[in-house]
Amino acid sequence: MLHELKTEASPLSERQIDCLQQGLDQLDPSQTAWLSGYLAGRLAADRPAAVPTPDVTVLQVLYASQTGHGEALAAGLAETATAAGFSVRARNVLDLRPAEIRRLEYAVFVISTHGEGDPPDDAIDLFDYLQSGRRPALDGLKFSVLALGDRSYEQFCAAGRNLEDLLLACGAQAFAPRVECDVDYDQDAAQWSEQVIAHVRENQVGPDSGAETQRRPAHLSVVSSAPAWGRSRPFPATVERLQRITGPDSTKEVYHIELSLEDSGLHYEPGDALGVWAPNALESVEALLAVLNIDPATSVEVDDGEFTIRELLIHHRELTRLAPETIKGFAALGRDDSLQRRLDACDEKDLRRFIEERQFIDLVEAFPATVTAADLAGLLRPLTPRSYSIASSQAAVDAQVHLTVVTKIDQAPGGRRYGLASHYLNNRLQTGDEVGVFLEPNRRFRLPEDRSTPLILIATGTGIAPYRAFLQQLEEEGQSPRTWLIFGNPHLRSDFLYQREWLRWRKNGFVQRIDGAFSRDQEAKHYVQDVVRARAPDICEWLDAGARIYLCGALAMGDAVETALRQAVAGQRGLDQQAANTFMSDLRRDRRLLKDLY
Amino acid sequence: MKKPDTNLSPVERIKARSDFLRGTLVASLADSATGALAEDDTQLSKFHGFYQQDNRDLREDRRRRLLEPDYQFMIRARVPGGVCTPGQWLKLDEIARLWANGTLRLTTRQAFQLHGVLKRDLKNSIRAINDSLLDTIAACGDVNRNVMSSAVPEHSALHREVHDLARAVSSHLTPRTTAYHEIWLSDGGPRQRVAGSAVPDAEPLYGPVYLPRKFKMAFAVPPRNDVDVFAHDLGFIAIADKNVLAGFNVTVGGGMGMTQADPATYPRLAEVIGFCKPEQVLAVSEAVLTLQRDYGDRTNRKHARLKYTIDDRGLDWFRAEFERRLGDSLAAARPWEFSDNGDRYGWQEGDDGLWHLGLFIENGRIADHPGAEHLSGLREIAKRLEGEIRLTPNQNLVLANVPPAQRADIDALVRAHGLDGFRQASPLRLHAMACVGLPTCGLAMAESERYLPELVGRIEASMAGHGLGREAITIRMTGCPNGCARPYLAEIGLVGKGPGLYDLFLGAAFDGARLNRKYRESVRENDVLDLLDELFGAFVSDRKTGEHFGDYLLRAGFLDDCAAPGPGRDVPL
Repeated sequence: MLHELKTEASPLSERQIDCLQQGLDQLDPSQTAWLSGYLAGRLAADRPAAVPTPDVTVLQVLYASQTGHGEALAAGLAETATAAGFSVRARNVLDLRPAEIRRLEYAVFVISTHGEGDPPDDAIDLFDYLQSGRRPALDGLKFSVLALGDRSYEQFCAAGRNLEDLLLACGAQAFAPRVECDVDYDQDAAQWSEQVIAHVRENQVGPDSGAETQRRPAHLSVVSSAPAWGRSRPFPATVERLQRITGPDSTKEVYHIELSLEDSGLHYEPGDALGVWAPNALESVEALLAVLNIDPATSVEVDDGEFTIRELLIHHRELTRLAPETIKGFAALGRDDSLQRRLDACDEKDLRRFIEERQFIDLVEAFPATVTAADLAGLLRPLTPRSYSIASSQAAVDAQVHLTVVTKIDQAPGGRRYGLASHYLNNRLQTGDEVGVFLEPNRRFRLPEDRSTPLILIATGTGIAPYRAFLQQLEEEGQSPRTWLIFGNPHLRSDFLYQREWLRWRKNGFVQRIDGAFSRDQEAKHYVQDVVRARAPDICEWLDAGARIYLCGALAMGDAVETALRQAVAGQRGLDQQAANTFMSDLRRDRRLLKDLY
Repeated sequence: MKKPDTNLSPVERIKARSDFLRGTLVASLADSATGALAEDDTQLSKFHGFYQQDNRDLREDRRRRLLEPDYQFMIRARVPGGVCTPGQWLKLDEIARLWANGTLRLTTRQAFQLHGVLKRDLKNSIRAINDSLLDTIAACGDVNRNVMSSAVPEHSALHREVHDLARAVSSHLTPRTTAYHEIWLSDGGPRQRVAGSAVPDAEPLYGPVYLPRKFKMAFAVPPRNDVDVFAHDLGFIAIADKNVLAGFNVTVGGGMGMTQADPATYPRLAEVIGFCKPEQVLAVSEAVLTLQRDYGDRTNRKHARLKYTIDDRGLDWFRAEFERRLGDSLAAARPWEFSDNGDRYGWQEGDDGLWHLGLFIENGRIADHPGAEHLSGLREIAKRLEGEIRLTPNQNLVLANVPPAQRADIDALVRAHGLDGFRQASPLRLHAMACVGLPTCGLAMAESERYLPELVGRIEASMAGHGLGREAITIRMTGCPNGCARPYLAEIGLVGKGPGLYDLFLGAAFDGARLNRKYRESVRENDVLDLLDELFGAFVSDRKTGEHFGDYLLRAGFLDDCAAPGPGRDVPL
């Protein structure tokens, strides 16, 4: 491996390479792996912004209850412990992010039981996480549970019991026995609190104990040496979660998809995209071959080797996106000249629309032609991967990558046609399946180096995905620049993607302002560009403060918003058209107007 | 770990900083990122007549979709004394179809509720209600709520006089803040004051923090106790000499609500403290209300109703302070007699020759279902009716003051839209009442309105088995212990505790003059049916002639081991 470094491309000197060579030759494979992880960790540590702020809190008091009793008890315990000189933090479990759960060391849980043994609403996410496929390893966690309940119910304190079981199953240790309280909980709760504090005191858990310094290196994840995963060698990512995130009555079918990059060594930045290899649907291929009267088992030979025509069409040929050459080639095979005449009558614009409205099957159904399997292999372009803006930050989701995908559905002359990858991801994949992916870095759509730069994030539909990645990153870093989300979609009630997360970020101060442009919630359509126009004074004030504007979504939206921005600036500053245009190009040149449009 | 008693409850602090109920409601309405209000505003909204709720059936699904809860609002329109005009009815019907869920809900306090209104439609809805000359201010919140009054005017002149007094008290005790007009009825900016006046708001009666808790009033006209007069903070029992109003016996300190597993809270019957003349009604109301304003518990909302003020300080103290404020003392209470707390169904003639038709509306929900197009039917009736529409305290309707010549037309419309259910329904069903409960009420722990009709069907079968098919027994269900359907005044009371789980209360008086007792805790449907079946058997074999089920259970000793609720008497004077 090392002699590859000796090429001209290596940033190392001959001497450095020799030293490394000598040192590395003496390492066994596990030592090499450790070193690789160490270097990766050191690299991460060198970028202070990317390292999660270590929480020096000794004891985390986490509560979840529907009535406020839990909160009061947690606050009481925190107060007592603080008075005793310990560093304690009491919080609702709702505010605990998965990354924090994995980092917990000493935590006590105050949890009530509701309904038929159910946890309180605030704890449902925690329960789901602890019993999900991506359940965390909590070997480093010592905990105790105070369960609140009512003995007149059958499932007395069941939620507390279940929580303890789940934590134990994740490898955590209980340092004090669980206490179950009836409705008159004062005495039991007080005894439990004493136990907790006594334990913390006896074990001298504290900043001086060295726990902190021992813990830090453990943060450095061990990264195996990275093979060259890429477009031509996609990583088989396992689907861990497929969740529709628009309401049942939405006209849009949008899915949140979590893929595992575990053991891939892949690392991405917020703003990057993920390439996805999606095969054509078997039914579509068989339908096409049936129309053309070609036996699916017919063997064809192409540059990459020999395939059955069915296999070739599924994995290696483009069926959903038409290319002009394909149409022209197909026209030449026509049994009459109807398609050729149609094409001759088209100017360039007509041809583009003709192409956009159709998939290959629409041609085949409308214009009879005699086509062999070999013709087909030559006519159709090679299959290409599809690209999606990543909706997550690795600072928050570790070895996962999240996508936000809307099923593309078009009304073609021959019927409903689905987009290749969106249909594959949203409708054909199941949890546990593997999908071939690779990273597509997008350095033109990153967070500002200076994290205090105000951000205006404008998106429609799934264009919100990279902003979710941004906010995850900023939250993990503990950075909260002034941030303003302007988001458009049809209905507030069903189409505000990741609404709960955005509202939480707003509540916790990571987002200052959210303007929804829900176009169909009132009689007059209302779009993101209308928000920009209506809020022109504020937009200019933010720009004066150095704000960076991001645009993500459909091309047409990008144009409309740029126009609205230019008008807003011109109107506010009294600029003529030329000066406004100059202002806009300056913004672009200074990389303060960044676009990810498709 | 309990908070010290000197702490005001959080809601008190919200009221204090709200600038006479403004809070940040205008900003909340304009927030385009959420269908909800800011948290503090969800308390203040109640004073404006609406509650933030969400469809709890969808909560879990929406949580997984990373969407906020399905926020929606319940708007309550005040109808003092429950009397509304056909024109007002038509307006409410229109709002229900345009902006709510296509149903109207009659409440146990003779008001309308609209459910499922989205935030963006609140202003239109509230404005339209005000256009109809009804309003929503003080329909909820820590103020005097919709004033109730007996629904069926057997003696028209007497009832009119009582009803006029109910209206007068209602307007006298309506909050004076200009925030309501400013937010809902004007088109100006958020801080524009009415008529451009720069004079700050004032609440001469309530003061800037209003009451410690809700305040409920009712006027009863014997022999009918349909308003459940003993369930209210302040009640007036009309006393007539030969159908001419002489005055009222005054009752104080009633209230239903209690909190699960908190023995410091309990339902309590009001006590009769004396007799006042009609011209004293406003002064008496003001004296009781301001006394509660000044002495009610503002540290604990679960202990903030007038009933606790009286029990904590004693009735003698209360009487002295009340009389000091009144500047007078009350005369001795006069005798009266109640027959029942239910409604009358079918046609009745008033003493002025006009007719009243009582219609049964199960649980007060007016909707269109195949074969029972109640919403459409009542719209058609309202378009033609020469009279008025009365909302009863048992969530039913009376088409009142109908000229004899219109009876046949009304009957035809009633039949055509399946509104004649009262002819076939069992007496048990006609005496049943449920709160709204799941899925919209945030307090509900068990089903109520959606479930009681089924359960009544099963109890009917059990009663029929004992030959009790025509026996009238009051049965009421609520999804939580707060008591919206006054369950503690039912002969059979079911109070929700958890999914499918209820506390069973038995033995209230048929006329609403005695509370029931908790007979069994945390029972499921099968247990309820088995327990009742056994008690029906005993009732049939041992009852005295004409004896009611609740009275029998108490006399026969079935409730001896059951504690009476609260520290007070459970039988009034």
